[in-house]
Amino acid sequence: MMKDTAEKMKLVTHFIAGYPSLEASFDTAKGLIDGGAYALEMQMPFSDPSADGPVIESACRKALEAGFRVGEGFKLIERIKAYADVPLYVMSYSALVFNMVVQGFADRALAAGAAGLIIPDLTPGTDEGLYEAGRRAGIDVVPVVVPGVSDERLSEIMAEKPDWVYLALRSGITGSYTELDAENLGFLDRLKKYDAKIMAGFGICTPEQIETLKPHCDAAIAGSFIVNRLSEASTEKGGSGIMHAAKDAVEYLLGE
Amino acid sequence: MDKYNNFFGDFGGRYVPEVLRAPLIELENAYKDAVEDPDFLAELAEFQHTFIGRPTPLLHAVNASTELGGADIYIKLEGLANTGAHKINNAAGQALLAKRMGKKRIIAETGAGQHGVATASACAKLGLECVIYMGTEDIRRQRPNVYWMELFGAEVRGVESGSRTLKDAVNEAFRDWTASYRDTHYLLGSALGPSPFPDMVREFQSVIGNEVSEQFAASEAEQIDAMVACVGGGSNAIGFFSPYIEAGAPRLIGVEAGGRGEGRGNNAVRMDDTGRPGIVQGYKSCFLLDEDGQVLPTHSISAGLDYPGIGPQLAELGRSGRLEFQSATDDEALEALKFFARTEGIIFAMESAHAGAAAIGLAKELGKGRNIVVNMSGRGDKDIFISAAALDGANWKDFLQEEAGRIR
Ligand SMILES: Cc1ncc(COP(=O)(O)O)c(C=O)c1O
Repeated sequence: MMKDTAEKMKLVTHFIAGYPSLEASFDTAKGLIDGGAYALEMQMPFSDPSADGPVIESACRKALEAGFRVGEGFKLIERIKAYADVPLYVMSYSALVFNMVVQGFADRALAAGAAGLIIPDLTPGTDEGLYEAGRRAGIDVVPVVVPGVSDERLSEIMAEKPDWVYLALRSGITGSYTELDAENLGFLDRLKKYDAKIMAGFGICTPEQIETLKPHCDAAIAGSFIVNRLSEASTEKGGSGIMHAAKDAVEYLLGE
Repeated sequence: MDKYNNFFGDFGGRYVPEVLRAPLIELENAYKDAVEDPDFLAELAEFQHTFIGRPTPLLHAVNASTELGGADIYIKLEGLANTGAHKINNAAGQALLAKRMGKKRIIAETGAGQHGVATASACAKLGLECVIYMGTEDIRRQRPNVYWMELFGAEVRGVESGSRTLKDAVNEAFRDWTASYRDTHYLLGSALGPSPFPDMVREFQSVIGNEVSEQFAASEAEQIDAMVACVGGGSNAIGFFSPYIEAGAPRLIGVEAGGRGEGRGNNAVRMDDTGRPGIVQGYKSCFLLDEDGQVLPTHSISAGLDYPGIGPQLAELGRSGRLEFQSATDDEALEALKFFARTEGIIFAMESAHAGAAAIGLAKELGKGRNIVVNMSGRGDKDIFISAAALDGANWKDFLQEEAGRIR
């Protein structure tokens, strides 16, 4: 485990706006920040999150059943940014972005204080103008790639000149553990020739994985692992436990 | 019409995560190649003839037409296709294509269970492993089909997410596919989803409309004035209409599920002023969405029409006015079911009965000397638990209780 805190890996922590409630998701964000997260990835719940596994799917459903609205998501960003100035990335699906008109979504996210957008089902070439809208608004649009994407396609994606690129470490949906092997680590090294910084995630749930990733990328992303910790906390201790659970989860992953 | 369009006006396209981009390009290329290959087309024709039982009859519904006293109704009996619905046309086409692509495993979603049964049957016949995703609400509603799928050797996986119906089964199939595409083909069951599915499903279903053209030309009647089909995702409708779309005639009428009537969550009517442009499940089309763009719940007595989106080509044809849309309520569908059973001795699937209901109204409206062709996309055996409960509840309940007591 890591000893030198100065060399600590950057951790991007995922959470879901409105889960388990709007207030509790604010507490979650505070806990993640206090635990030492480098950045936050805030998921705007969508009714049909087909790239997500059961943990995130059911959390999004609960947020929507509790009445979550997209407008509240943007206001939540404002509150989080007032609490601490950490980079915040908005993750969601094309349906919600398209609904606000793509430029409108980008502008609103920027106005709220977001640093970037992660919309996995709007990819370069079929992005409904998302990358252009991001450039116009001055907000980073982060492409999501997977190992196995061809060099040709990779250059197409990187031609959008994103500040960050998100590598999903394996195919499939969010949730289950990912083995770090020659294939995905090798792919990370292939990404290095581009200017974009690399965040890598999907199935990150141990400090060992993060240690392994460290020489290969700029940040690790943890998602379902944190949501799991939160759902345990919210059933066991009630709302007040959430913030601590979030903080503990980050500290655990950072090897503290 | 081109065999591959990708977009239909503004609708259609391919809005998927990067991981599914390559598998969809692979599928697009395999599809384009196969539909131009005489060997593949001959293999498909042979399968249609010997396994599906094509051509299916075009019935002149003389008794029904006489009783209504209006236009003549012709019924395309897709329900006589093996496994009981038009779904097998597409399942067979895609299963043969998957085999040609070297895929070993097939996954599919199903609502009414007809697409699941068709897929499981084709997989049994062609020696492919088969997994069917089905919402647990639909499993309850269409239990007989679950039993048949399992008998064909398919694994039926219940889907507990969302509304536990067709759209959630589609999500779950996509989740499977993002991890399994290397050896697995996702056999999507309607003319929707990311391209090439809407084009491919239309082509495999166009056999319905092509047969109608030939059969009608051979009949004594002069010309078709209107064609009527029910629209869930839209596969039976687009296949039935396809030879006629580019010509200005006949009138083409799609019938959506009017459910319990107006109001959010009571129906699955998307092509009224209720639906809005959106991007969901990989394609741009008209969807039932709330103010934030979240997908709204739907209701229909027929599981196959209980879906918040519509195939992109149909949405575009609706926008351009080439296609007219109507809806039929749950009760109207039940009435049509009874009417055609009594007059013609045929049992419409609950989905198809929506088209039957619209045809009854249209026959009166158009009047004598005109001809209507209605697509009976499936037969109603699978609906026994729904129709018997709705039409003869007390006796049916007694029967079920007795039967349950008899099983040890
Ligand atoms: C008999 C029958 N008709 C129609 C449908 C609706 O699908 P589509 O609109 O794709 O034809 C279904 C779907 O399950 C069905 O089983």
